[in-house]
Amino acid sequence: MIRFIISSFVLGLFLLTSSCCPEPPVDEVDYNDLFVNMADNIIVPRYAELQTELEELEESLDLYEGTDLSLLLLQNQFKVAYHTWQKVSVFEFGPAAEYSALLRANCNTFPTNNSKIEANITSTEYNLDFPSNYEAKGFPALDYLLFHTNTTDLHNELESENRLVYLRDCITDMQDRLASVVLAWDSYRATFIGAIGNDQNSSLSLFFNQYLYDYEKLKRDKFALPAGFATAFGIPLNADVTMVEAPYSHMSLDLMITNLESLEAIYLGVGEDGVDGVGIFDKLKEYNAQSTVVEGDLAEAIKTQFVICKAEISNFENDLATEIETNIDALQNASSELQKMVPMLKNDMRSYLSVTVTLTDSDGD
Amino acid sequence: MVTNLKNYTATFINWFHSETSIAPLVVFRIIFGLMMFASTLRFLLKGWVDLLFIQPTNFFHYYGLEWIKPLGEIGMYTVFALLLISSLFIAVGLFYRWATIVYFVLFTYVELIDITNYLNHYYFISLVAFLMCLLPAHRSLSMDVWRNHSLELYKTPNWTLGLLKFQLGIVYFFAGIAKLNYDWLFKAMPMSIWLQAKAHWPLVGSLFTEQWVAYSFSWIGCIFDLTIVFLLLSKKWRNPAYIVLVLFHVITGLMFPIGMFPWIMILATLIFFSPDFHQKIIIFIQSILKIEKRDVIPANSVLLQRFKKRVLLPFLALYIFVQLVIPFRYLLYPGQLFWTEQGYRFSWRVMLMEKAGTAFFYVTDPITGNRGEVDNSQFLSPTQEKMMATQPDLILQYAHIIKREVESRGLQNPIINAEVYVSLNGSRSKLFIDPEINLVIVDDSFEHKDWILEN
Repeated sequence: MIRFIISSFVLGLFLLTSSCCPEPPVDEVDYNDLFVNMADNIIVPRYAELQTELEELEESLDLYEGTDLSLLLLQNQFKVAYHTWQKVSVFEFGPAAEYSALLRANCNTFPTNNSKIEANITSTEYNLDFPSNYEAKGFPALDYLLFHTNTTDLHNELESENRLVYLRDCITDMQDRLASVVLAWDSYRATFIGAIGNDQNSSLSLFFNQYLYDYEKLKRDKFALPAGFATAFGIPLNADVTMVEAPYSHMSLDLMITNLESLEAIYLGVGEDGVDGVGIFDKLKEYNAQSTVVEGDLAEAIKTQFVICKAEISNFENDLATEIETNIDALQNASSELQKMVPMLKNDMRSYLSVTVTLTDSDGD
Repeated sequence: MVTNLKNYTATFINWFHSETSIAPLVVFRIIFGLMMFASTLRFLLKGWVDLLFIQPTNFFHYYGLEWIKPLGEIGMYTVFALLLISSLFIAVGLFYRWATIVYFVLFTYVELIDITNYLNHYYFISLVAFLMCLLPAHRSLSMDVWRNHSLELYKTPNWTLGLLKFQLGIVYFFAGIAKLNYDWLFKAMPMSIWLQAKAHWPLVGSLFTEQWVAYSFSWIGCIFDLTIVFLLLSKKWRNPAYIVLVLFHVITGLMFPIGMFPWIMILATLIFFSPDFHQKIIIFIQSILKIEKRDVIPANSVLLQRFKKRVLLPFLALYIFVQLVIPFRYLLYPGQLFWTEQGYRFSWRVMLMEKAGTAFFYVTDPITGNRGEVDNSQFLSPTQEKMMATQPDLILQYAHIIKREVESRGLQNPIINAEVYVSLNGSRSKLFIDPEINLVIVDDSFEHKDWILEN
């Protein structure tokens, strides 16, 4: 009898071990193609692009010589680099989420703190590694330093060596952190592609949660907060135009569109080279084809919603701050379109992909 | 007819009080104690005490139990230390009665702190711990007996084992009944979704995308749950049934994040095996621990006083009746059970549906008309938010949490609406509750919540 029980356990253990230590998957790889495409054609090239743009930004700063043209080139290069940032903010897992990198906090904490920036420049004693300086560095700080006043005044300000050093420090800080991320991706790529499955450590789960987070950040921080559609600890907030992203260069809506486009390209699996590879869209299509219970085509619905959201944002003629002051009803419409996407991602897509969101045990929803 | 009934009753009462070997009960005690020790240790090591009871700023209470609150960091870790100690005491049978009472009370307390942590598995443990308080499981192979030989028993009344078998049995049987629904049987939902998520498994992975596999899993799971107890009770089928049970739990354990539950069930169901089998386990344990077998024949049986005997049968009858009725209370509510979840908990509905929700809450200042969306992460943990977004009673509770938070910050009588979207078993998200209703003027009750929209 005991022998029987023991053999049952051995059988169980055998099953357990044979399934938990899988052989390298051969043909029926599930998300492998999705993650290979994402790593090789989207994530790595986008980081490389940001690296290039930051290098050029540093060069434009070197080339600044007090002329209107050199200032314009510097400002334009900043705009290009800030747009490129919008394409990588979503990848805050793995290397980018390491404490030494924390790209989102280090590169794009807004609104920026002008007085802290000025104080840092005056004192020259600052350490950009301190989290207390998140609000005084990164793209939002550059936005302030390069756009907050008219050209003449900017020229005057930039005569100060301290100020130029601060600008350079802000750029270098981002470059250093990005360099560590890019380097780490060399080896993390294999981890990313290999972490199959849907538990909390799987790439699917890491990626999905950040994807959703980036979208919710876009909806709330970039739009609802400044427009006065949000609350702070439940208290309804008034519209506050100083809360927009890139207030001085007036790029808030443009950056939002780039952010949306970059999320859309990930969804569709379109690489930086323009080649349409395997994306979540294709995975959902596959599910739809296989499953008999799908109501409507989720893959198409999300795709369409991206188009609608981009169109809503593109329709605004002025920058976000002006629209907030003059056109709040239209903003409300755009907000509700942005909102419609959330349940599609958070409920429907998550259910299909069976992504685990919580860390604790469950016994079913 | 009447005499027949009388005969049956007499036979039953006779069986109820007559005696059998205490060995299965003792082995069950050791297994239970050790498994609870392992589960508690795992819970601690995973950092869940901090995550679930210390970090959150708000807690969702059970109806009428809002006075049950977490004890803060030192308090909660003390509770868990006591759980560890008492579970070990149960395993070795030391101060058994106190150990089981402490374990039952503290475990149940921990479960009642936040309803979003509700798991059928935890409810099961609470019930078994409660039953263990009543059973003489320490009357052999225990420190208590070692300290006081006169406690030792060779036999125990049939009801003691029968009760545990009943408790195990209803977990399976009701889980089986719950699977008798259209989606599960005729759409293979949510099984198809869950299997597809495991399509990367070696060898069998590609099978998981096949519809027939999803249907097979659904039907086999249902038939297994409905029949396993009866097979375990039959001498003839016990061995093959147990092999199937081990396979079933191992497979579900690999597929779903259900923690210790499969292992607890695999070991707990050993109680269905014969006294001889358990006697061998005991001899095995004795040989390892080098415990010498005493020749003294101990006083036999738990001789209950007449009073206790009189109380026991009605009490157990009531317990069993309640256990059998609670899972059916959902019939008192209109609407689809899986959608409204009215009468869903405490009914062994385990791994039955794939449900996900997104809840947008809006606070409106009644004076200025200013309206804004709540950032749920400012009040809730991700787990709490996830559980809240699909369960109407928790949605309502959250609205009241927001009200309390907002009023503490100076905004009185806020209007709170919720726009909630829920996806059930792969259907596209639908509006879940009336988005126009001001949730702060609704009070929770056991009555039907008429502001839940139809699926």
